[in-house]
Amino acid sequence: MNTSTERGNELLCMIRDSYEKMHQRNSYNWIMILLGFPVHLFLFIYFVWKKRDRTYASLIEEVKESLIAEGYKEKLMLEFKDQLIRKYAFFGQQVSEADLTKQAETLTEERFHKTVEARANEALLQKGKTKLTYSNFFSSLITKPLFFFVTLIPGLLMYFFIILYSNPFVKYVFERLLITVFVVIGVVILVFSILYISPFEPAANIIGETATAEQIAAFNHLHGLDLPYLSQLWNAITGILTFDLGASYAGNEDVIASIMKKFPITLTIALLSLVMAVVIAVPIGIISSTRPNSFFDYTFMFIALLGLSVPNFWQGLIFILNFSIKLQWLPATYSPQNWLSVIMPVIVLGTALTASVSRMTRSSMLEVINEDYIITAKAKGLNKRQVLWKHAVGNAMIPIVTVIGLLFGGMLGGAAVTEKVFNISGIGSYIVDKQFIPDIPSILGGVVYIAITISLINVIIDILYAYLDPRIRSKIKQY
Amino acid sequence: MKTQKDIEKKKVLKLSPEYTQSSFTWITSLTLTMIFLLNCYDFTTQAIKPFVFSAFLAYAVFTLIQVIITLMIRRDLLTTGAVRKSTRRLGFVQLLSIFTGNVFVVSFAFSLMKERKTPEYTFAVYMVLTQFFIISISALNLFKPYVSDTFLIAMIILVTIMVFQIVATILVAKYVTHNRTERWMTWIAIPLLLTAVTGNFFALLLGYGLLMKGRSTDQSRIDKWDTMWGKITRNTTSILGLFFIIFMFSISVCSIFTFDYSLAIENNYGALLLEPSIMYPMGTDDFGRDLFSRIVFGARISLIVGFVSTIVPAIIGGALGAFAGYYGHRTDNIVMRLLDVLYAVPGILLAIAIIAAFGANITNLIIALSVGSIPTYARTMRANVLMVSNYQFVDSARALGSSDFSIIFRQVIPNSLAPMIVKATLTIGSAVIATSSLSYLGLGVEPHIPEWGNILKLGSTYLETNSYLAIYPGLAIIALVLSFNFLGDGLRDAMDPKLD
Repeated sequence: MNTSTERGNELLCMIRDSYEKMHQRNSYNWIMILLGFPVHLFLFIYFVWKKRDRTYASLIEEVKESLIAEGYKEKLMLEFKDQLIRKYAFFGQQVSEADLTKQAETLTEERFHKTVEARANEALLQKGKTKLTYSNFFSSLITKPLFFFVTLIPGLLMYFFIILYSNPFVKYVFERLLITVFVVIGVVILVFSILYISPFEPAANIIGETATAEQIAAFNHLHGLDLPYLSQLWNAITGILTFDLGASYAGNEDVIASIMKKFPITLTIALLSLVMAVVIAVPIGIISSTRPNSFFDYTFMFIALLGLSVPNFWQGLIFILNFSIKLQWLPATYSPQNWLSVIMPVIVLGTALTASVSRMTRSSMLEVINEDYIITAKAKGLNKRQVLWKHAVGNAMIPIVTVIGLLFGGMLGGAAVTEKVFNISGIGSYIVDKQFIPDIPSILGGVVYIAITISLINVIIDILYAYLDPRIRSKIKQY
Repeated sequence: MKTQKDIEKKKVLKLSPEYTQSSFTWITSLTLTMIFLLNCYDFTTQAIKPFVFSAFLAYAVFTLIQVIITLMIRRDLLTTGAVRKSTRRLGFVQLLSIFTGNVFVVSFAFSLMKERKTPEYTFAVYMVLTQFFIISISALNLFKPYVSDTFLIAMIILVTIMVFQIVATILVAKYVTHNRTERWMTWIAIPLLLTAVTGNFFALLLGYGLLMKGRSTDQSRIDKWDTMWGKITRNTTSILGLFFIIFMFSISVCSIFTFDYSLAIENNYGALLLEPSIMYPMGTDDFGRDLFSRIVFGARISLIVGFVSTIVPAIIGGALGAFAGYYGHRTDNIVMRLLDVLYAVPGILLAIAIIAAFGANITNLIIALSVGSIPTYARTMRANVLMVSNYQFVDSARALGSSDFSIIFRQVIPNSLAPMIVKATLTIGSAVIATSSLSYLGLGVEPHIPEWGNILKLGSTYLETNSYLAIYPGLAIIALVLSFNFLGDGLRDAMDPKLD
């Protein structure tokens, strides 16, 4: 019994501390008021009613009068005027006397007001009281269990929000996810708007040139194309979020089902390419950086640059020409039963990634090797290998993982070309096939779900970082 | 003790620009020789191709001389610490390789011949090289059944320009030093600037350099020019990249007069799918169109799309990034969050969506590629502006009463441009790849226009029988993209203050 009340008290104290911290940020303050609106409404009325005890206001009047009696205002006025005259003299500008006085007056008023408030607060402190503001009032109430239980139901959302934000790491994850949701909705709006303002008529393309006006109208009605922009947009957003985009224009198949059927192969090939890139590129980058400007370094960096410059589809064609047509080692087109057929697409898709990662690894390593802590490690008497593996590689990998995350996104996008070359029916070639109509729900679904996948991957990488990298961790803890 | 000496020796060799360039040259030259060797034997007919074989022999000879020169330079450096005059004279022998088209050996020969190389000398040399290669490529048209009406007059003008440029090069080699030149040299500079209308931008760079060194009294400006371009011209790969880009640009301009467009677009049923020959240097496609002319005309589109779709987002993204970075807080948050939406969609998918909506043609292609790359430029610019706007010169400008507008455009942007230029150079290459990839998918340039991606798409259907239709345009794309990447790397090294 005793421990549970203690724990309850702890929770209330935590809520209070967190409330006080969050109160300093204007935006959080508004969100808290919004979420706990009924609680705040009643409390504020009560607060105003209670505040009639006007010690603070009378104190301010007192301080004001005493300062004016001292002649503080006139002194300030003279000071500011003098400063202004000297400032204008320096810049060689001409200002009329009236203007000067006016400027000095505003400055004086500002400063006077500030001084009065500061003095009044000081006097309050001396009397052992603080200025009663709404937030102080609220945080003093919050620790009282009775108040907490009464307001629990109407203020549930607000309390949940405060508890969520009391842990900086949870707060970071939550905000990151929230941003992702907004980005995804933004992507839907963007892609949908682009397709909406398209001058093409899908109806005419599908029914053919002989389509009558009634047929076109019926088609548009069937797919909701006759609705106004905003309601179409709303349908698209809810469709994306509830995984229901209806049927495609051509072939009348369920869009989500066909996208889900095509996603696995694209992801598999992209992931295999990623694995290939990391396994090849990271060691090469590290070795190159340990022997900068050697023959080995030049050769590999030249090959890497070449890898960045080769268009995917050309590389694919050359591979087919050599390995399928001339040597007949590997099948030219992809078939799910034959695992050999996946080798060429993986290499082609992964080439550019391998090249960038190895270049990035090298430059990141070169940067790290010249850092002070590496010199310290060497000065401690560690041997080369220990310095390299314990101190250099770990730190050099931090930016590389982010870059891999970003490049992986580009790779999913670029998969369309590779899929076309090797005749793989993945999501990329699906979008390309559908764009000639243009089949709006299919294109929208394909593009947005790829964007969502990429965003989620980047979120996971960011969160992992926040967990692993001490620098980011300490940054998160600062409010 | 011995190891100490070894390290010093290694250092001497590494610091010598001639030795490193010479090693680079023989390796690349050997690679080219090997490629010719592998291609000179036809396995199906068991016969040697005489043309490729003679090319192999010529390349092999110059590669051999190059290896010998490399060894001689090495010996000179280790014994006397400098390259001897007699070794430098061998450059004249290597100069002959210009007739084999081996640009690596020629450029090395020029740099070996002159001991103190100013950036102007390098510009002059590459200017002449560009002109020479343009004339020889255009001259291949002489073997065609007919040439364009303007061919003769254009060739005469080109040759005259080249003669003038050779004279200018000799004068530059004699009278230009690192910090000044004779005043009368500026009279050569002006006609040189005029010859840049052929698209030969080396003439532009050279003319500008001469004008500045001859007329300007501002020594710091000359020094800045000399160090910056000195770094780029000493970097063999980046200057070769620049050479190839300018060459491509120049050939796009000159081909208007020296190439016949009808050979590239009109069907010729008498010459379907011909193997490469002297009349059709890269063969003909399934409509009898000359592949060589098509690739030359395709360069124009790749360059235009590449440049425009880089400059447009660089300006838009740069401006957005600069405002976001300078004003910070709410402006920053709003701009960058909106751009995050664009950033979340992979560039090529966004391009596909835009083209799906508005149709496939060059304008839409440029718009589609531009929109996708706005956020990366904005991010680069923002990061730089955040750094630069904390410098003291910005504070002092503010203290002097400059408006925000003038601070942004006079102080902040000029000082954060360097990374943007590097980024732009590197992304032109990817724009070229994206253009041809989209054309390959049938989503880029209209199919009847000779564009590298379109040519490749057509060639891919004849992969088994006439594979050269797919190989040559691909090589053109790679060469151009590789050049942009090399130039971008060189620019980064030249502009990075950390490497000073």
